[in-house]
Amino acid sequence: MVTKKQSDSYAGEQKPVVITRVFNVPRELVFKAWVEPEHIAKWWGPHHFTVPHCEMDLRPGGTFLIQMQGPDGQLYPTTGTIHEVVVPEKLVITSKAFEDEDGNAPLVVLNTVTFEEHEGGTKLTLKAEVVKAAPEMAGALAGMEQGWSESLEKLADYIGQL
Amino acid sequence: MVSTFDALADPTRRQILDLLRERPRMVGELVEQLGVSQPGVSKHLRVLREAGLVVVRKDAQRRWYELQTEPLQELDAWLDSYRHLWEARLDRLDDYLRELHGSEMDKEEEDGNEEAI
Repeated sequence: MVTKKQSDSYAGEQKPVVITRVFNVPRELVFKAWVEPEHIAKWWGPHHFTVPHCEMDLRPGGTFLIQMQGPDGQLYPTTGTIHEVVVPEKLVITSKAFEDEDGNAPLVVLNTVTFEEHEGGTKLTLKAEVVKAAPEMAGALAGMEQGWSESLEKLADYIGQL
Repeated sequence: MVSTFDALADPTRRQILDLLRERPRMVGELVEQLGVSQPGVSKHLRVLREAGLVVVRKDAQRRWYELQTEPLQELDAWLDSYRHLWEARLDRLDDYLRELHGSEMDKEEEDGNEEAI
């Protein structure tokens, strides 16, 4: 029998989300819109949302914070860590989902974003993979499944507003 | 309670799930395939069972470990919503980039005109 090589694939069920998009503008501009807070604020949040605060410490190990505010005043922070930066080609960041007040998140998503020159424009590819959940979260969150269903419902509502 | 995400966080556990996707297996086979000690494999199997990703079926003296896919559907649902979120976000980025590029081009044109004058 052939020994299966170590892999993180598990591709059958847990498929990474891959999205590609072509923008008809130069690559440097697309990259800039992704990493400069004044630009991020213009497109990150859903319609009718504002981004009153955004921090981006653009270096490996640096962190980011994007604070979105809904029409009702509710704040929705997104935080994460920057792992790799290749200007203007590539960004590797992890973002936390459903983070609690102590910064613990039951879910961490690894986002690999590449920017390629494409027929005078820019081809952007976003690959998102669920990489880990802090192990201590399992015990900390009693009734995790219940919590999850609620979070998913909230997220669905939230996406419904887009 | 172990969440699906916690269970999938470990590469060895994902490898076990890969092997179980092919067919149900016994612990001995997993030990041989993974090159991990039996206590190690048993520990991972316990986490996978607690997460509801694996069940045990007893057949005489044998214990077969089988993959259960239901918890993974929740993960798929989440990833689907993540995709929708990003599709919408990239639509807005596209609009914004057109606007931004347009104003930069105007500026260049103005600069160009000034030089011409």
